[in-house]
Amino acid sequence: MFNLIKRNKYRLQGGKQSLYFSSIFLILIHFYSINAFSQSGTTEKKVSRPAYLNIAVGLNISNFRDFATSPLIYSGKPIYTALSHIDMNEKRESHFTLSYSFGKYKSNFNLHASESKVNTFSFNYLELFQLKKLSRSKLNIKIGGQLNASVNHRENTELFNNSEGVDIISTLFGSAKAILDLSRTEEKNKKFLFIKYKANKRKRTLSYTLNVGAVNSSFRNGFAYTSPSAPLNDDDFFAGYELQLFKGFRLNSALDYTVFLHNKNALQFSYIWDAYRTGGHHDNFEMAAHIFKLSLLFSLK
Amino acid sequence: MIRIKLILSASTLLFMSSCEKILFEEDLVSTNPHENFEYLWNECNEKYAYFDLKGVDWDAIKTAYSSKIYQGMSEDSLFNVLGGMLKELKDDHANLISNFNTSFYGVEYQAQDNFDWRIIVDNYITEDYYLSGPFAHNFIANNEIGYIRLSTFTNPINSESLDFILDRYKNTKGLILDLRENGGGAISNVFQILSRFVETETLVYYSRIKAGPGHNDFTDASGAYVQHYNGIRYTKDLMVLIDRGTYSSGSLLALATKALPHVSLVGDTTGGGLGIPNGGQLPNGWTYRFSITQTLTLEKKPDYENGVPPDIIIQFDWNDLNKDELLEMAINELL
Repeated sequence: MFNLIKRNKYRLQGGKQSLYFSSIFLILIHFYSINAFSQSGTTEKKVSRPAYLNIAVGLNISNFRDFATSPLIYSGKPIYTALSHIDMNEKRESHFTLSYSFGKYKSNFNLHASESKVNTFSFNYLELFQLKKLSRSKLNIKIGGQLNASVNHRENTELFNNSEGVDIISTLFGSAKAILDLSRTEEKNKKFLFIKYKANKRKRTLSYTLNVGAVNSSFRNGFAYTSPSAPLNDDDFFAGYELQLFKGFRLNSALDYTVFLHNKNALQFSYIWDAYRTGGHHDNFEMAAHIFKLSLLFSLK
Repeated sequence: MIRIKLILSASTLLFMSSCEKILFEEDLVSTNPHENFEYLWNECNEKYAYFDLKGVDWDAIKTAYSSKIYQGMSEDSLFNVLGGMLKELKDDHANLISNFNTSFYGVEYQAQDNFDWRIIVDNYITEDYYLSGPFAHNFIANNEIGYIRLSTFTNPINSESLDFILDRYKNTKGLILDLRENGGGAISNVFQILSRFVETETLVYYSRIKAGPGHNDFTDASGAYVQHYNGIRYTKDLMVLIDRGTYSSGSLLALATKALPHVSLVGDTTGGGLGIPNGGQLPNGWTYRFSITQTLTLEKKPDYENGVPPDIIIQFDWNDLNKDELLEMAINELL
């Protein structure tokens, strides 16, 4: 007989390993940052980085497939919202982001239409440090890490007792960011069609961030997918869930065009691509999202 | 500079789109009859819970039914083959659902009919019966017994309905709960009802779920307990009427009563359906479900999946349409 308890015990031991690994990774990043800034003759604590409150809204064009319940791909265009706190300067930047996407995904094939309502909550912490050797006056390169935990709550009434599912995907990324300075340093007279206007000095950047999943994990339904709690008169929603560590993959990137305004606030247009697939489960889950968002960055300092 | 931005943006979009195709599995959407047959057979093979108990040789079923699959067959024909394959599981929790048909086994038609509501209304509870939530009820046998009919577990049961019913019949000699032709519904309702008939926390059965692709890969069995309700309860005898139409949650309640000393089952063996069904979709968009758990007796045996036997066996006599033999038997037991 398959011994689930033993298997979970093994996975929990794996969980401790993952925690140690993650902790060591973050500590290394921390020490790297101290080292990097001490070389430049200052310490980060003394440098006050510009801080922003970032409010974003966008369209999340995405699709998913949960092999536990269906081989079909569900596609949707949910609304994306996010709230971030950002501290950044040339040498270092930190992002703390909470995002929420909500909407319907559909599969329509062979005259059979199915609909899945999906709510996705995501927590994200990104820490980046300047890589001096590769940075130039107009091109700044930063590297670091990112911790992300995404929770999908899905509801598809056509799937009977499998109508409701929750997937918790957590990932520790290795991150790299290239920031191209596109600032206009001098005023220019310009013409659009027959309209003449003066283009003022303006700070603008175009950045590209690539995050590669280093430690991938997921917490989702077990082999049979259906919750074993109902016949046991038990309300444990996560009964039968399995934790899988160091399995699966996740890759995401962000292309941001930021225009800084004279009042220190900024506007940001972004394209985010995020793709992940769980691993280790009998039936895996995969999702890909293309998010187009507009952000308002309010200067806090 | 604009050109650089455009090139960078376009490159990123193209790079990410192509990455997606490399990273994920191919689209499996298909109306191919062979692919849909294989998919459904394999899902059952790995996850269905009762092959051994039902004596089903799933490999032999594959051989028999795959020979009926051919390229170009109509949707209706494919449905009949796949639905027929699921019927071999002899389980009404195994269904195939399309826009144009739903397959089912029909366990209730494998035995004689033992229920007629009109006979009960005309000869026992009269037309003045009460409707409290999903329960139809009234006094019978010179007000000495309370009769309660529950035709489904689908609708929610609230505490107020049960409080009213148990308070109304508190001075009776016993209660009759009629679950004949109750096809099931929410399991939580089973425990809500039973909580009114126990005085202490009571272990009523065990359950285990598929944990691997082998036919006998299950989790360890976990016990299901009924907690006593902290309010109005009924401590006198309860007779539960059952028949082959008592299915799923109805059967679970019947099984649970085996652990309750003052509760007896009267009638015919239930239809079974103690396994919890899952839910899934085929590559052609149709949906299916089948049992993925086993419910075990207190001796940890799965046998009652084929039907929970009554403590008192009795069948309806359709030659006399003024009498319900099962109900009469329950009345006699209580008086």
